[in-house]
Amino acid sequence: MAKPVVRKPKKKSNPLKTAKVDAVDYKDTVLLRKFISDRGKIRARRVTGVSVQEQRQIARAVKNAREMALLPYSSSAR
Amino acid sequence: MSLRQYEIMVILDPGVEERTVAPSLDKYLSVITKEGGTVDNIDIWGRRRLAYDINKKSEGFYAVVDFSSTPATAKELDRQLGLNEAVLRTKILRREV
Repeated sequence: MAKPVVRKPKKKSNPLKTAKVDAVDYKDTVLLRKFISDRGKIRARRVTGVSVQEQRQIARAVKNAREMALLPYSSSAR
Repeated sequence: MSLRQYEIMVILDPGVEERTVAPSLDKYLSVITKEGGTVDNIDIWGRRRLAYDINKKSEGFYAVVDFSSTPATAKELDRQLGLNEAVLRTKILRREV
């Protein structure tokens, strides 16, 4: 019987910690751009490696920034 | 009467002249001081490319204003700006203290 492969999840460095940000602000587009894909979609927590609470703050900030045309809703539609 | 701290971001029509922005912004904000609030900080970002077109315009004139006022005043300010032709969009948020 084959042994199930146990994968050790790789610990991702928290990009918010490295950037030393304690409050996510919708005006900080340089930071927020790190959390959206090149199509303009919000990256999953699985990808970004931030906590649940932080991901929520980021999502809200991105949506506010989109309303004010600081970030795109979608870009380069295929 | 309790004051609350707000932050409002305004996108103005890019057609306006650079030097007329500050005076006209003061005029829009006069409702705050008139109703007993205070304008704490005005930050004019200047002309900026919009991520997508608003009212067929691809640029906007951004300004961020911090102020303290009653909730009713903040609502009234947002209403007045919404009626203004030179204002493309506004967003009011409570400032975190």
